[in-house]
Amino acid sequence: EVPKALLPVANRPVLSYVLEQLELSNIKDLIVVVEGADAALRVGGWISAAYVDRLHVEVATVPEDVGTAGALRAIAHHLTAKDVLVVSGDLVSDVPPGAVTAAHRRHDAVVTAMICSVPVSGLSEAGSSGAKDKTKKPGRYNIIGMDPTKQFLLHIATGAELEKDTRIRKSILRAVGQMDIRADLMDAHMYAFNRSVLQEVLDQKDKFQSLKQDVLPYLVRSQLKSEILINGAPQGQQAKENGNDKVSYRILANASTPSFHELYALGPNGSAPVRRTHKCCVYIASNSKYCVRLNSIQAFMDINRDVIGEANHLSGYNFSAQNNIIHPSAELGSKTTVGPHCMLGEGSQMGDKCSVKRSVIGRHCRIGSNVKVVNSVVMNHVTIGDGCSIQGSVICSNAQLQERVALKDCQVGQGYVVSAGCEYKGESLARKEK
Amino acid sequence: MQFDDQGRVNKSKKRAVFNQPEAKNRVELFRHLPQYEHGSQLTDLESKFLELDSMHPAVYKVGVQYLAGDVTGGNARCIAMLRAFQEVINDYSTPPGKTLVRDLTAKISSYVSFLIECRPLSMSMGNAIRFQKSRIAKLPLTLSETEAKAALCNDIDRFINEKIILADKVIVRHAATKVRDGDVLLTYGSSCVVEMILLYAHELGKQFRVVVVDSRPKHEGQALLRRLLAKGLSCTYTHINAVSYIMHEVTRVFLGASSVLSNGTTYSRVGTACVAMVAHAFRVPVLICCEAYKFHERVQLDSICSNELGDSNDIARVPGRPDVNSMDNRTNEKNLQFLNLMYDATPSEYVSMIITDYGMIPPTSVPVIVREYRREYLLI
Repeated sequence: EVPKALLPVANRPVLSYVLEQLELSNIKDLIVVVEGADAALRVGGWISAAYVDRLHVEVATVPEDVGTAGALRAIAHHLTAKDVLVVSGDLVSDVPPGAVTAAHRRHDAVVTAMICSVPVSGLSEAGSSGAKDKTKKPGRYNIIGMDPTKQFLLHIATGAELEKDTRIRKSILRAVGQMDIRADLMDAHMYAFNRSVLQEVLDQKDKFQSLKQDVLPYLVRSQLKSEILINGAPQGQQAKENGNDKVSYRILANASTPSFHELYALGPNGSAPVRRTHKCCVYIASNSKYCVRLNSIQAFMDINRDVIGEANHLSGYNFSAQNNIIHPSAELGSKTTVGPHCMLGEGSQMGDKCSVKRSVIGRHCRIGSNVKVVNSVVMNHVTIGDGCSIQGSVICSNAQLQERVALKDCQVGQGYVVSAGCEYKGESLARKEK
Repeated sequence: MQFDDQGRVNKSKKRAVFNQPEAKNRVELFRHLPQYEHGSQLTDLESKFLELDSMHPAVYKVGVQYLAGDVTGGNARCIAMLRAFQEVINDYSTPPGKTLVRDLTAKISSYVSFLIECRPLSMSMGNAIRFQKSRIAKLPLTLSETEAKAALCNDIDRFINEKIILADKVIVRHAATKVRDGDVLLTYGSSCVVEMILLYAHELGKQFRVVVVDSRPKHEGQALLRRLLAKGLSCTYTHINAVSYIMHEVTRVFLGASSVLSNGTTYSRVGTACVAMVAHAFRVPVLICCEAYKFHERVQLDSICSNELGDSNDIARVPGRPDVNSMDNRTNEKNLQFLNLMYDATPSEYVSMIITDYGMIPPTSVPVIVREYRREYLLI
């Protein structure tokens, strides 16, 4: 199976969107961490083919199931800069990473997370198909607490661990005065970390597996009772510096409006700082930017649709007059219509009287006549017989559909053969592993 | 640069690092000053953070802090900028085929124009930059690169220590002799030197109370008030509309300055002239506390020819009161223009004495200090 990072979105691997965004922001030195040896090989092979001169990428392999925190521990010795930008490989967005890093530097924060609004079609549970659920479960959702100026992150809890109630630190609430809690935002998995703090947390807390579930909430919870040493942090270390530095630091500190961290850190009479705090900042992606994570099948279909449709500046292709992309080597039969927001890959052949609406068709597909493809994703080297009707489905590479197959909301695995005349609704068809 | 000259504005826009849309509805009298739409400036600048190779990240950070208003006050801005330049010098390496002197000066000039785009320079910053460039130009050619860089960083440290920190200490010692028991001292806005004076006099054990006068839209006095109260001074807080009511209780007025000009005019936060004038009418002595590096040889007769325009939305809204919104969204009406001036000029006849690190001088002696002592630091 293709590794998740190389799943095609609009006929480009999803990892390419991340790399392109980083290249546009002038970040040339990257480390791509992949779980599992074969996946790493394939990712590495693709990257060196596609980005050989433009980016300097190092592919690191980690064993499976160590989680994102474990992955960072494995490559910790490669990290040398003062701040580290961590991006998940399945993020499709056009938010410039520069904005996140600028917010990080401006406040000298320990971690800055990018937050975006939940995509409209909602996050459904991975693997469950829509037809079976009669009741609309809200599924996974996130609770994010911010201060009124929307710059600092006060509370974060992801849906997986939320049952009935959520606990908020009273000290944080008392220090900041007012906290806005929102459930319509989600964590976009782009973080800027202060490198020394990140390494310290990863070393001290061995049990942390995931950045999103463990490290980030830990840093947010402990922001007013900081247990980590920040290099060169003036708070609490002032006695060591000589008098002149103290004065200039005080001039600078008095000049800016103190954030609630500094106010909390002051002693009872506003005297010298007695408590150590660190700042967790947040950057909210504006609504005009597109930002979605590929973490479920529903999201996969939505992203495919959006990248050809509304967010088509992301795909980087040129659109034809009918607002779709047809590769010059694709052949269309007579009376075949390809609607707007569609994409046909190279070498694909379509028979007569077909209709394609809002779908992505990969390379070298052979599609018979009288086929209707609506709202679907068809990957490379697929053979579809005559008279098929495919709606809302994902058909992976090398699959074969014989005649008069009707699929609705299905996922067909790689290399699977669907026999003639079958009708499936809301099912996952895959070859049984021997 | 005068901003009502369209040709030069267009030329400078082409060289600009980030895009700033100009405000549309401007007061005619102040068209020569830059004014931009404040809404999108910060997001534009932040999104370009990583894209500009030519900008050092420390300078970028300082620029973002200026634009967002995180750092205000002449001394703080100057120190932040000089520390950023120290980092620039430390990270600098001469490209092949160029001399350190010329290349570094060109780099510093480009960083300075970036900082000007974020927020116009104050005069103290202008003097500090001139000092910096003259030190670079005076580097002996025989020095190696590391020695030159170490020498420049040392110079910056010396400048900060001698001209700002030590100067503040001297000013505080002088001014504390002017505070007597039973005094009522008035101060306007938030000046770091005046705060140091009040705290030092309190430590010496003098019995006095403080009146803090504040004004919209920034309410800078509130931060000063908080810090004074934390140290145990007894304070009164009022707004500038009431300054004539409170002036009869006051015995001395201490004010800070962004700069003092050659004709004795004090250029500082808007509202200072008003307070000084009322104090003069009540025959209360006005003492301006200002470090000598902020003196400038320019002469200015009014607040119009050189000033800074802030965000017009700041005066349309009251922070924390979303219900007071009758002025909201009216910034584009034809008959109504918002004017948010940041500085004003206090004439020298309202000022009794200027306390500097060279002593306590009358306002007429400012050109003497500029002439005699400004040359001195260029020669160290």
